Amino acid sequence: MNEVLMRIENAKAYYKLEKVSVRAVDGVSFEIFEDEVIGVVGESGCGKTTLSNLISMNILKPLTLVEGKVFMKIDGKFEEISSMSREEVKKKLWGKEITIVPQSAMNALMPTIRMAKYVEHLAQSHELNGKELLQKAEKRFEEVGLNPLWLKRYPFELSGGMRQRAVIAIATILNPKLLIADEPTSALDVVNQKVFLKVLMQLKRMGVVRSIIFITHDIATVRQIADRIIVMYAGKIVEISTMEKILQRPLHPYTKGLFNSVLTPEPEVRRRGISVIPGTPPNLINPPSGCRFHPRCPHVMEVCKEREPELREVEEGSKVACFLYSEERT
Amino acid sequence: MASKPLFKFLLRRFIFLLVTYIVATTIVFILPRAIPGNPLAQLLSNLSRLAQANPEAIRAAERTLMAEFGIDKPLLVQYVTFVFKALRGDLGTSISFYPRKVIDLVVPVIPWTLVLLLPATLVAWILGNTLGAMAAYRRNTWIDKGVLTTSLIVSQIPYYWLGMIFIFFFGVRLGWLPTQGAYSLGTIPNLSWGFFLDALKHYVMPFASIVISAMGGWAIGMRVMVVYELGSDYSLFSEYLGMKDKRIFKYAFRNSLLPQITGLALSLGGILGGALITEIVFNYPGTGFLLFKALTTLDYPMIQGIFVILIASIYLANFIVDFLYALIDPRIRLGQEE
Amino acid sequence: MFATMIRPLFKNKKFIVGISIFLFFLMLGILGPVLYRVSPTKMTWDYEQPPSAKYPLGTDTYGRDVLAQLLHGIRSSLYIGFLAAIISLSIGTVVGSLAAVKRGIVDDTLMAITNIVLTTPSILIAILIASYLRIRSMEVVAVILGLFQWPWFARAIRAQLMSVMSREYVYLSIMAGYSDMRLVIEDLLPTIATYAFMSFVLFINGGIMGEAGLSLIGLGPTRGISLGLMLQWAVLMEAVRRGLWWWFVPPGVAIVALTASLMVISTTMDEVFNPRLREE
Repeated sequence: MNEVLMRIENAKAYYKLEKVSVRAVDGVSFEIFEDEVIGVVGESGCGKTTLSNLISMNILKPLTLVEGKVFMKIDGKFEEISSMSREEVKKKLWGKEITIVPQSAMNALMPTIRMAKYVEHLAQSHELNGKELLQKAEKRFEEVGLNPLWLKRYPFELSGGMRQRAVIAIATILNPKLLIADEPTSALDVVNQKVFLKVLMQLKRMGVVRSIIFITHDIATVRQIADRIIVMYAGKIVEISTMEKILQRPLHPYTKGLFNSVLTPEPEVRRRGISVIPGTPPNLINPPSGCRFHPRCPHVMEVCKEREPELREVEEGSKVACFLYSEERT
Repeated sequence: MASKPLFKFLLRRFIFLLVTYIVATTIVFILPRAIPGNPLAQLLSNLSRLAQANPEAIRAAERTLMAEFGIDKPLLVQYVTFVFKALRGDLGTSISFYPRKVIDLVVPVIPWTLVLLLPATLVAWILGNTLGAMAAYRRNTWIDKGVLTTSLIVSQIPYYWLGMIFIFFFGVRLGWLPTQGAYSLGTIPNLSWGFFLDALKHYVMPFASIVISAMGGWAIGMRVMVVYELGSDYSLFSEYLGMKDKRIFKYAFRNSLLPQITGLALSLGGILGGALITEIVFNYPGTGFLLFKALTTLDYPMIQGIFVILIASIYLANFIVDFLYALIDPRIRLGQEE
Repeated sequence: MFATMIRPLFKNKKFIVGISIFLFFLMLGILGPVLYRVSPTKMTWDYEQPPSAKYPLGTDTYGRDVLAQLLHGIRSSLYIGFLAAIISLSIGTVVGSLAAVKRGIVDDTLMAITNIVLTTPSILIAILIASYLRIRSMEVVAVILGLFQWPWFARAIRAQLMSVMSREYVYLSIMAGYSDMRLVIEDLLPTIATYAFMSFVLFINGGIMGEAGLSLIGLGPTRGISLGLMLQWAVLMEAVRRGLWWWFVPPGVAIVALTASLMVISTTMDEVFNPRLREE
């Protein structure tokens, strides 16, 4: 097993509004290992984006970390990054340890200066040598399949797919260990999606980034690259498994529904046919009692309505939060 | 290397402004002739009644005007003559200053208006944008709220009324500054220090009243723009890369300036209108004051002439602003694909 | 539904201040002349009197009561403002929605005209038109001002309608063969209602400012009393340089209060209805 890169312990991140709290991430614990790609899936409104904000420590009011801690290995030592101030986060984490590929990479680059200039400004902000960083940027451009001379251009001179690659190149320029991508492919056409995933995996293979968190509702995309899958429902993790396991035998009823609701080329998945989960995710101000999925669950039991199932390992590499897999089911 | 898009952009703007200018001058030409009762014809027939003092001169004036306006000729002929004469710098003969030519009367007052208007507009634009950017940088602090509230109120004060308040307070009550004119009565404009200081004293209040009341609008606009830019995708991405706040703010500022430059071009007409009235309030010997005199004496050739020149200068300024804009924004200079 | 839309506005302090000031001046304009029954045009021998119990805001050179003038002036200025706003709004809506619905050559022509009017120094043309009219009623002044305010509104309406029209329910109406008229009235206009209202408020603002400007260069209404005319008389009679502050300060204060309160109303509406500006 690889070493742990980041550990999230019982994190609760709520949007604190005037009178109510939206419990978008509600008691979540897991680890991110080095050299792995984690896919986070779930319907919209399940807390995926909040989770990515939590991991990247992008916590701005009204979002508040109510409880729990986040640790990250920085220079071989674990540091509690959840206690850092926003200033510290910007100075120590962003760009260097964690990088975020934004949802709309099309407009992510400062439009009215040349990209080379942007890289220089980046060097100044991080107190690095501008020339060296520029050379690195040239190399990185080549690695993602762009002509390094294009650094001297303005972003609008590049086509959409190229711009996306330029964004990745610049996002990874300081060799961050963790790359977080939140729905990065939703705005791209199929060809550019493929290229994007290829570039991402290539950067990981070359060791530019160690681990990748890929947040998406598009299961067809994530299954091409993820090693492990985190399934989120109503602010909670309902299942964490390796990709193979989840494709062969999804455990949680929600996972089953989710994976069945997409058409995939896998014969074993296809055989089960397409089904959709009836209903919609609950609101996160007053989530249902017990297991939050119970109102929509086809296998609902009495215990599900009263008690919350814990996330526990039922097979090697598979954790699930469901009473179907515990002795307490009676 | 890539100056072709720039050239294309400028050419397009030039043609557009030229067409607009032709439309505007056509309106200037057609209006007096199209309005029911034809005020021009009326004026000419009433001319002899207006002043009995010097019947000889009146008759001469009447002949000149008849010839110049050629009201008896078909409209198209009149129009062509008007355009060709205007192109040669002949804007006709003034009625109230007969027999002086309109162009000779207008040209000497233009510098006074320029000296007042250009610096005041630029200073207001620069100060307003700086203030607005400052407010956006410290958004939701008391500085921001203070700047916003005062800007909102100040931007609604008409230039000329602020000028009146200044005259009353600093001129009449405190007696610090002269209350009218561009220089003391009885002095002749010259290049001495004394004259310069005298003119400066006269300059302060009209200048300040334009700057202060024009500033607020720019400040509000700039704040909105910068806040919008700070929330845009490239600002967030820069933040995620650990870019310093100051740098991100500089980006937002730079990108907000561009629309503010276009805004400057669009509001030039309004600024000029306001400044013309300010000149009247201050008895400042500029174009506005001359226009006011022409309007009160119904000196139509002069009114027409002033408008042809004013509108031309606005379009010229517009074009200069466009040119600057194109130089600053690479998307125009290099041509954006979309 | 209307009530739920309006409610958040009344939670906004700035909006309450703005609307209160505006309503106060509106009442002054409507009820003032009825309650304060002094003729604004009657000349007396008490000329250029500072404020006193008899003349709350003093008198002008002809011994006319300034308060009476102010109340009538607010009324006329508001009248001109409203009228100009209605004209601008109508032209803008018609041009904008025609361009959006008809597309093609109609759109191109209308937008070309709009752009030309937008670039034309409208105040100058308004001055020019006014200068050729020997008799100018309040309505004529309102029309002159209303004719030049609409271009930016027409452009915004066109853009908004175009984005709305790409939505499904409108598409269905087109498929159903509804007439353009019905399409505009039933499906499209409701979506631009708040924006139109905000613009209406700004148009009133422009009308009031425009009247004052025209009046000051001697091109205001030739009959009646307006805030601009009061200022013009004050300037002509050298009230400023002779220190007769009670004559030229009140009309200016009324103009600033009216236009600033309208501005506040419009910007707060924008903040409430346009969450992008409400900011993080």
